[in-house]
Amino acid sequence: MPGILVYSEKHQVVRELLGKARQVADEKGMAVAAVYLGESVPEDLADLGAWGADTVYTVASPLLVGLNPETYTDALAGVIAEVKPELVLVGATKPGLEISARTAARLGAGVASFCVDFDFSAEGVVTAQCMIYSGVGINTYQIKTQPALATVAPAVFEAVKRDGSAVVTALDVSIRQPAMTILEYKEKAAAGVRWEDAPVIVDVGMGMSDKSHLGLAEELASLFEGQVACSRPVSSERDWFPEWLGLSGKKIHADLCITLGISGSIQHVVGIRDSKTIVAINSDENAGIFSQADYGVIADLHEFVPILVAALKARSAKLAR
Amino acid sequence: MKIVACIKYSLDASEVKVDAASKELKMAGVPYKVGVIDKHVLEMAVSLQEAYGGTVHAITVGPVSAKESFREALAMGLEEVVLIENPLEGQVAPDVTAVVLAEAIQKLGDVDLVVCGEVSDDGFTYQVPPRLAEALNMPLISFARTAAIENGRLVADRDLEDSVQTVSVPLPALISVVEESNTPRRPTLLEAMKAKKKPVNIWNVETDLGLSAADLQQKAALEKVSAEGVVVHRKRQILKGDDLNALSNELVDLLLADHILEGGA
Ligand SMILES: Cc1cc2nc3c(=O)[nH]c(=O)nc-3n(C[C@H](O)[C@H](O)[C@H](O)COP(=O)(O)OP(=O)(O)OC[C@H]3O[C@@H](n4cnc5c(N)ncnc54)[C@H](O)[C@@H]3O)c2cc1C
Repeated sequence: MPGILVYSEKHQVVRELLGKARQVADEKGMAVAAVYLGESVPEDLADLGAWGADTVYTVASPLLVGLNPETYTDALAGVIAEVKPELVLVGATKPGLEISARTAARLGAGVASFCVDFDFSAEGVVTAQCMIYSGVGINTYQIKTQPALATVAPAVFEAVKRDGSAVVTALDVSIRQPAMTILEYKEKAAAGVRWEDAPVIVDVGMGMSDKSHLGLAEELASLFEGQVACSRPVSSERDWFPEWLGLSGKKIHADLCITLGISGSIQHVVGIRDSKTIVAINSDENAGIFSQADYGVIADLHEFVPILVAALKARSAKLAR
Repeated sequence: MKIVACIKYSLDASEVKVDAASKELKMAGVPYKVGVIDKHVLEMAVSLQEAYGGTVHAITVGPVSAKESFREALAMGLEEVVLIENPLEGQVAPDVTAVVLAEAIQKLGDVDLVVCGEVSDDGFTYQVPPRLAEALNMPLISFARTAAIENGRLVADRDLEDSVQTVSVPLPALISVVEESNTPRRPTLLEAMKAKKKPVNIWNVETDLGLSAADLQQKAALEKVSAEGVVVHRKRQILKGDDLNALSNELVDLLLADHILEGGA
C-alpha cells in the first residue's frame, strides 16, 4: 500500500514530486506511487520507476481531456479512494490547485498549500512546511486528516534519477459527464520555456519603457546562455511573455539573476530569491529590490545595460563553471 | 439575475516584516483592507449586473470591526454587504470559509452566479473557490479573464499556464477571476455619498446560518505548529555614480571576485 501518491499534469513536476517522496518514503519504509490521468495511457510510464515510483496508477477515459477540472477530480478522488495513501502531493499548477482542493473537499481532507517541505511524525501524522504571506514566512502545519494533501510549486523539489521500473496498474474509476464544455483551446505562444533550468536569468520589470528595448535584455542573457523572464505586469498587462516569475508564477534558482527595472515586491522576489546571486538595476535608489540583491546599480537600465554588455564582451567574462 | 461576490478583508502581506535575528514575523500594526483581487471581483460582478440586470450582494467572513471598510465596495454598485462574523480566533482556514460561504449563499437564495477571486491576497491557498463549488454542487470556471452570459450559460476564458480555454457551464455557477480580468472602477463622489445609506448586514454563523462554531473549529484540517520568517542573506552592496563605464566595470570586478563570473581580466 503506497504511503505517498503524487500527481501533476506536468511530467517534469511528477519527477520532482517523486524525488522528494522517494527520499521521505525510504526513511519511513513507505511506498511511492504516481498517478497518470488522460485520454489514453502512454507506453513508457514504467520509466517513472527510474524517478522513484514503485507503482503508476492510470485512469484512461475519453472524458479526461482539456484538463477539465470536473473529470480530473472524479478520477483523482477515485484513485485516492481505491489506493488509500497517507499523503497526496499535487503540483501547484493552476489545474493542480483546482483539482486538489475539489478532491479534498469531497474526501473531507485538508490541503497544505505551497508546501516546501514535509515529513511524517512518529505517529504517522503529516507535518508540512508551507509558504505564508506571499512567502514572507513559513508555517509548519500538522494535517489532521487521512489522506492529507499538499500542493507543491514547480521546481521546489528536485527530480532524482535512479535505477528501477514501476509497476503500471490500470484502475477502473467512474467519471461523470462534466457540466463544463470546452469550446476552444488555444495554446499560448512559447509556452513551456523552462526558466527553472536556466543558469542565468535576466528579469525584466515595468521599468523597461518599451518592448523595443527587450533586445538589450536578450543580448545580456545571450552572453551567458541565459534566458529573459519578467514580472507579472510585464506579462499580464503588456503581454510581452506568456508567463512570469513570482508567487503566482515560476520560481527560479539561477546562478545569477539580473533584474532590470523591477521594484522588488515580495510577490515577485519570492520567485527569484533562491538564486545564488542577484544583481538589481533600478533608477530609484529607494527601490525595495536593493535590499533583496547582492549588488545594486542605481542607473537607468536603458543606458546602463548596453554599457554593461560592452564591458562583459570587452573583458570576455563568462559565467563561472 | 442574483449575483453574489465573495470578497475578503485581507492582511497586507507586503507590510509583514521579519526580525532578522529571531526570524519572528512582526505582525503588530500590519494593516488590513479589502484585497486587491477583491476589487476585480466586484468589478466583474457589477459589470455583469449592468449587462444582464439583477442585483449584486457581497459576502465576506471577517471581524465585525471591518464594517466601515466596505464603503468603497458598496459605492461600486452593490445592494448590500453581508459580513459574517468570524466564528473563530484569527485567520479562518479555507475549508471552513468555504462551508460558511456556502451556507450563506444558500440562505441568500436563488443565486444565479457567484464571483470569487482566484486567490486571496493574504491566505494565498487557491482553495476557497473550488471547495465552494463542491459544497454548492455548482460548476466553476476558474482563473477567468472574461465572462459573459450566452443562452443561459456562463461563458468565459480560462487562463491556464500553457493555454487559454474558452469554456461554458450552465447556471447557476461560480466563476473565479484573475487580476488581469478588468480594471476596477473608481466610484464617483455621488456614488460614495449614496453608498453611505447602503447596509453592511452582520450575520452570525450560529443564529443566522445554523452552524455550530465549535464544529467549525473542529473542521479545520490543518493545525499550525509554528511560524517563522524567511531570512535571505544578501550582500546589499550598492553601486552609484555618474560614470556608467566605471560602474559596469566595478560590477564585473565584484562578480569575478565572487567567482560568479570567470575570465575577464
Ligand atoms: C496576490 C498577488 C500575487 C502576485 N504575484 C506576483 C507574481 O507572481 N509575480 C510578480 O512579478 N508580481 C506579482 N504580484 C504583483 C506584485 O505585487 C507587483 O505589483 C509587481 O511584481 C511589480 O512589478 P514590477 O516590479 O515589474 O513593476 P513596478 O512595481 O512598477 O516597478 C518598476 C520599477 O522600475 C523602476 N524603473 C522605472 N524606470 C526605470 C528605468 N528607466 N531604469 C531602471 N529602473 C526603472 C522603478 O523605479 C520601479 O522600481 C502579485 C500581487 C498580488 C497581490
